[in-house]
Amino acid sequence: MAQSSALPVEQYNYDIVRKFTIVAMVFAVLGMSVGVFIASELAWPFLNFDIPALTFGRLRPVHTTLVIFGFGGSALFATSYYVVQRTSQARLAFPWLAEFTFWGWTGGVALGALTYMMGFTQGREYAEFEWPLDIAITLVWVSYFAIYVETLRRRSQPHIYVANWFYLAFILAVALLHIFNNLAVPVSLTKSYSLFSGVQDAMTQWWYGHNAVGFFLTAAFLGMMYYFVPKQAGRPVYSYRLSIIHFWALIFLYMWAGGHHLHWTSLPDWVSTLSATFSILLLMPSWGGMINGIMTLSGAWDKLRSDPIMLFLITSLSFYGMSTFEGPLMSLKSVNALSHYTDWTIGHVHSGALGWVALVSFGAFYHLIPRLWGAKLFSQTLVYVHFWLATIGIVLYITSMWVAGIGQGLMLRSFDDYGNLAYTFIETVEFMHTPYIWRALGGAFFVAGVLVMVYNMVMTLRAARREQAAIEAKLAAKMAKA
Amino acid sequence: MFDWLMWFTHMENSKPLALVLFFGAFCGILIYVFTGKRRAKRLESYKYIPLDDDDPPRHSTAQAGYHSQSRKVMDNE
Amino acid sequence: MRHEHIETNSGLMIVLILLVISIGGLVEIVPLFYINETVEKVDGVRPYTPLEMRGRDIYVREGCYLCHSQQIRPFRDEWLRYGHYSLAAESQYDHPFQWGSKRTGPDLARVGGKYSNQWHVQHLKAPRSVVPQSIMPNYPWLLETELDYSDLASRMGALRATGVPYSLTQQEYDANVSRFGKVVADQLDISQAQDSLMKQAHEKDFDGIPGQITEMEALVAYLQVLGTMVDFTKYDEGYFTTFR
Repeated sequence: MAQSSALPVEQYNYDIVRKFTIVAMVFAVLGMSVGVFIASELAWPFLNFDIPALTFGRLRPVHTTLVIFGFGGSALFATSYYVVQRTSQARLAFPWLAEFTFWGWTGGVALGALTYMMGFTQGREYAEFEWPLDIAITLVWVSYFAIYVETLRRRSQPHIYVANWFYLAFILAVALLHIFNNLAVPVSLTKSYSLFSGVQDAMTQWWYGHNAVGFFLTAAFLGMMYYFVPKQAGRPVYSYRLSIIHFWALIFLYMWAGGHHLHWTSLPDWVSTLSATFSILLLMPSWGGMINGIMTLSGAWDKLRSDPIMLFLITSLSFYGMSTFEGPLMSLKSVNALSHYTDWTIGHVHSGALGWVALVSFGAFYHLIPRLWGAKLFSQTLVYVHFWLATIGIVLYITSMWVAGIGQGLMLRSFDDYGNLAYTFIETVEFMHTPYIWRALGGAFFVAGVLVMVYNMVMTLRAARREQAAIEAKLAAKMAKA
Repeated sequence: MFDWLMWFTHMENSKPLALVLFFGAFCGILIYVFTGKRRAKRLESYKYIPLDDDDPPRHSTAQAGYHSQSRKVMDNE
Repeated sequence: MRHEHIETNSGLMIVLILLVISIGGLVEIVPLFYINETVEKVDGVRPYTPLEMRGRDIYVREGCYLCHSQQIRPFRDEWLRYGHYSLAAESQYDHPFQWGSKRTGPDLARVGGKYSNQWHVQHLKAPRSVVPQSIMPNYPWLLETELDYSDLASRMGALRATGVPYSLTQQEYDANVSRFGKVVADQLDISQAQDSLMKQAHEKDFDGIPGQITEMEALVAYLQVLGTMVDFTKYDEGYFTTFR
């Protein structure tokens, strides 16, 4: 008892941030490993082992859920709880509710992954959770919103910093999307039917699906960027005024773009044209944000040479710029005619998910770990090792997917001299075998990088614990003497 | 009485109207944000918020000196 | 008004964010429910029979939509490979829609009737035994698992609640008779669901095992009806374009 009272009480609630950071890394390892496994299944189908729970169709939602909601979501909880406290200079509101968001979120995602393997799914991409889990997630989300807003209200800083606008928009938008896209009529605890059907259901789902990318994987991570990039660089963001434009334009435009996932389908043409138009417009705020982030380093570019964490953050912004250029390109109807239904889409998603989302999270975590546990990072060299493993992995991944996707697209639409189809479908599957192997290899590189990070983190935490023990022993000795 | 509302349901009317409204709002925001020297200075001053957060706790009396120093930084803004 | 008013007032900021993010979704989704031209008016599209519906449940359960689309686009190569482009009307009873987003395998929107039942059974059991280069997983358990059709009434009841015309009352049944004909109306009647499921299974014997109703039975029944409901010879091509 004497020892614990001797330790100063933390000004901010870091305990919850630490928990989410650890669980984010656990989900990263699990989710990305499943990713490598299902990528290998596509290259070597015997890996399905005739076991229902291990088939591609059931594991793919496990991969996307563990990575997007498990890793990405936990990283967002961790960083948003950290950022809102630091920029508001107020302690997190409702600590018990924050504890609930932790157990609710972690448990929900884990249970979701298990139920997919058992075959319980709504059959909607990225929204596969069956209705009881949807309700649980809604509860967690409402609590998250309450904590976030109440902490903002308790701020001792008059202004709400930009990062918090993005986090706030993310929380609100995800609530809206989650609720409307999961409206369903339940049959039993494990089965429900979507309230909408056909074309309306498709549009609702891709309004959700695209904005899951727009708000979950973009807006929220931009919030992360607006705090951690300036913080790590030790200088303010490039332009505050640009961030105002960036914010309002981004959240307005994203909501229109969902229809570009349904080009040339039975969706009416006017929706699809409107979506394509807004997708092109979206390039501007996206690049505005990227420039704002990267130019923060303007005049201090040498930091890229000396600071591997900065390397993570700036590279993530470069990938963000690249995939937000590729996205509008693919939303053009003519390009989409080729790219849709192929692996080009998968590559595009991963250049965003691995290149942007994961790298910016790793950067933020490397910044956080020493501050959360009060110990120096175990190894700076391993951060470089992680960076290069990750970058090589991403490059392998996206180039192999370009080859597979564009290749398949071109093969499917080519004709012989008599106007007959030049290739059967199965010939394209055969062609994709080699790129699929390279893709799995790229994924393996990326996972290897994550494992290096986990090792680095564990060693740091162990050192922190040893140091803590030493201090406590010293204190105890002092007390004993006195 | 509500016949005028029908005017909006025609795509050839509502499209240009929406364009004028949204584009007008966009230009308005751009002009607001990027004009005016004083406004620019004021807005840009808020970007230092994340760099202020290494302040020690306000109620901490032991580090009062530190504290007042950081207050000064904020006054400069 | 200064931007600072928003930045210093969390309530105002929440309201403005909600406003800004609602516009896009409202403009694009709400009209789809009201504009009559969104779904084509065609004859022949009917809700799934109880057996087909259970097959569809298995299709969703196994995550087939992650590798197979059910949406043919209006391109020459897709026309040659798969057939007429998909109509919105053809998925009007699909809760949820299964258009898919990726073709690791071919599109299935019109797979119905293209292959025999035996081919489907063999292909699902061991895809590489019929298509050596295939990368599809084997689904041997479909043939080994008895189909559970004990809860047909609650499944069809739930679908009825979403708007699918499965009939519960005499009035609804009569409406189905005049809309789809007596044979189909009987299959859409919830009180006769178990009988009509067994009847369809015994008549067609999709899984090739007489006297047994496996999950394979239901899945093949579903695959064989995909894209076969609309008789395209009855319509002039120009007709459908008026809806796009």
